[in-house]
Amino acid sequence: MSDRIKHLYQRAGFGASPEEWEQLKRQGFLGALEQLFTQAHAAPPLTVASFEDLAEATMEDRRKAGRMLTQSYTLEWLDRMADPTESALLERLTLFWHDHFACRSILGHLAIQQLNTLREYALGSFRDLCLAVAKDPSMIRYLNNQQNKKNSPNENFARELLELFTIGRGNYTEQDIKEAARAFTGWGSNYKGIYRFRARAHDYGQKTFFGQSGRFNGEDIIRIILDQRESAEFLVRKFWDYYVSAPADEGLIQELTSVYYESDYHTETLLRYLFAADWFYDQRFRGGQIKSPIVLLIGLRKTLGLQFGKPAAQARLLRALGQTPFDPPNVAGWPGGRHWIDNATLMLRLNIGAGLLSKRELDLRFRDQPELEILSDPSTRKLEAVVNLQSLLPMMTGTDLVADFGTLSDYLLPGPSRIDMTSLVGLVDNTEGEERLRRMLLVLFSLPEFQTC
Amino acid sequence: MKRRTFLKNTGLASAALWAPSFLNHLPGQTNGKILIVIQLSGGNDGLNTIVPYRNDKYYELRPDIAISDSEVLRVTDELGFNPSLSDLQSLYDEGWVSIVNNVGYPNPNRSHFRSMDIWQTASDSREYLTSGWLGRYLDSQCNGCESPHYALELGQGLSLALKGEQRLGFAMNDLRQMERTNKNPLLSYLGQQDTPDHEHEEVAYLYKTLLDTQSSTKYLLEQTGGRRSRANFPATPFGRDLRQVVELILAGNTSKVYYVSLGGFDTHANQKGPQGRLLSIYAEGVKALAEELNKHNLWQDTLVMTFSEFGRRVAQNGSRGTDHGAASNLYLLGGNLRQAGFYNNGPDLTNLDKGDLKYQVDFRNVYANVLDSWLGASSTSILNKHFDDLGII
Repeated sequence: MSDRIKHLYQRAGFGASPEEWEQLKRQGFLGALEQLFTQAHAAPPLTVASFEDLAEATMEDRRKAGRMLTQSYTLEWLDRMADPTESALLERLTLFWHDHFACRSILGHLAIQQLNTLREYALGSFRDLCLAVAKDPSMIRYLNNQQNKKNSPNENFARELLELFTIGRGNYTEQDIKEAARAFTGWGSNYKGIYRFRARAHDYGQKTFFGQSGRFNGEDIIRIILDQRESAEFLVRKFWDYYVSAPADEGLIQELTSVYYESDYHTETLLRYLFAADWFYDQRFRGGQIKSPIVLLIGLRKTLGLQFGKPAAQARLLRALGQTPFDPPNVAGWPGGRHWIDNATLMLRLNIGAGLLSKRELDLRFRDQPELEILSDPSTRKLEAVVNLQSLLPMMTGTDLVADFGTLSDYLLPGPSRIDMTSLVGLVDNTEGEERLRRMLLVLFSLPEFQTC
Repeated sequence: MKRRTFLKNTGLASAALWAPSFLNHLPGQTNGKILIVIQLSGGNDGLNTIVPYRNDKYYELRPDIAISDSEVLRVTDELGFNPSLSDLQSLYDEGWVSIVNNVGYPNPNRSHFRSMDIWQTASDSREYLTSGWLGRYLDSQCNGCESPHYALELGQGLSLALKGEQRLGFAMNDLRQMERTNKNPLLSYLGQQDTPDHEHEEVAYLYKTLLDTQSSTKYLLEQTGGRRSRANFPATPFGRDLRQVVELILAGNTSKVYYVSLGGFDTHANQKGPQGRLLSIYAEGVKALAEELNKHNLWQDTLVMTFSEFGRRVAQNGSRGTDHGAASNLYLLGGNLRQAGFYNNGPDLTNLDKGDLKYQVDFRNVYANVLDSWLGASSTSILNKHFDDLGII
């Protein structure tokens, strides 16, 4: 049963700290599952800064301040993900939506507003979420709906809404995009980042969309798209990639699509169904997900109780590994899976554990990248953190090496490892206590298996 | 020796137990051609690089930052080089430079990141690809490119340009650090483990990438231990990268594609000084590279392509700088150009798109030329559609 809990917490959350792990095992699978949702419902909304909080006079300075703010919100988000008293389910699901509604937000007060919106509707109805995102100032700017006016429509948002956010290619025509764009004309935001409907820019005329005709506005368009079962299937495939991470099993995709569609896109219903399904824990679905940089980092934080000397070094690490929150590669989000891996990112991943445990320097230098002046702070080039092994020590016998390796692998790896741990006995000879534990962890963090969950 | 005691006995030594498959046989015959791509990151202001010094509109729109006709290094009756490009001019005079004006793509995107992705993936403006054009060239089974370092990027990370669907290029960072990592006995040990039956294919993929990385690193460390170039490269990271490229080429390295970047071109304010400094670093670097390779009879087998993700707004902004623009110029350097000089006329400053230059040449026409004529590949399959060859290379 503890295998199920591990799989659930790795996929629905970010793994578990040693204390959480012990407590979850005592609770049992059903209790552990319920706890995920209880915590999610108890999570308070974020404190959202307003435009007035950015006092800088010039636009350039305000942009810079906005970027710094975005980074500080990123760091706060990472803290929430790692904090056992926060909701891991909600944060990981919010990360899913942040990837789904991929949006580059360089202005911090807009970034946090969007994050709050994603969080607020994360477990509720996708209909509400989708509409809220269509009115989100950051998205309005990112996909040029600000420029979408009756006399000069801009199709960017309408196109991505259909292609990437709801139903996917092959289910609509170029004419549908044009008509949808007309329906969203006038949906803008003011300079402070507050949604504004500009009636004079809105096209109130007749539109024909998905074979239906009427004086549609944006709300109608979203309603009509989501009335199609194909939309539920499109979204389910994205959930599948994120939570199941395996080649599609068409039977199961259809099963989940029915659940989602019949619940009228109630995301909590879908996730509860998924996590309660026996097949979710099948051997074929375990260990096949290459951890995203954020999942990897948060897992390490939880396991080692890391306290960073310069928390901003985390942002640098995530950039080096290819995943910067609020800065996805494009509106299609992070491609994920094997796309996380190249020679540079793999070697960095395999060395992070060693870097943290043995104070070996982790090089996070960058070439100049435009608009990323935050990263030029040289003090964030080294990933330095205080490691706390105290909560792991009680799991160890301290004498039975095979048993201790087994306990640690069981806690840290998704399944059996390629190497026979006993062959590494030489590494821990003549050590004891914390040092012995440190060396065993060093081995485990260096394993490619640790990069998967 | 039993694995059981392997680490105990060998301690920190023992790097070379694994035998990389591609080193066991000689790489297939390549056509010997080398491609070096130089990326000017941040959006280089093409108009102040190749200056239309006879154009009144240019001086009218840039009262404070235009290059005056007394400063400009004249090349044609209309166009001249930025005064910081004297080193590039001397290469031009040798017939080693071809300049393509007004390069861009339809529906230009003015975000650095998006536009860079478009250039690196060779996509349409509204298309999102997860592989790069050089990565797809690697996928096309080019001769010898089964080893990752066939396409080598100098820098901390691997650009999307060098990531294919099946194959990846190789990012080469600080060599000493790579050497340390490669000597890590634990990682060497892991690289040799057999595949158990239960293993997930993602795990197998990670192990394979680890082994390939170790093999390529070992090979590159051997290669860089060899030739030293005495050429006069600028003492900047970019200069050191180009020196590294030259030394690898002189050592007979099997890499055929090199990717180097020079950043800092995002000149929103007081741009004249900073842009000039960057351009002179660029020109000094490529001159040293060209001369050194020419000395060793390798310049005729080398093509250097320089691009930036976009040019800049034609009119200056309020802080003596320029904002993000669209089309710009692109430079091809080599000892064996079919058409040196200016490929086409300079920009028409009276016919702008929202204040930006309109593109005349799609950058993918340049890629097609590079792929078909230089790398001997099929551009139509790599670029997913046909683009006419420019005939420069």
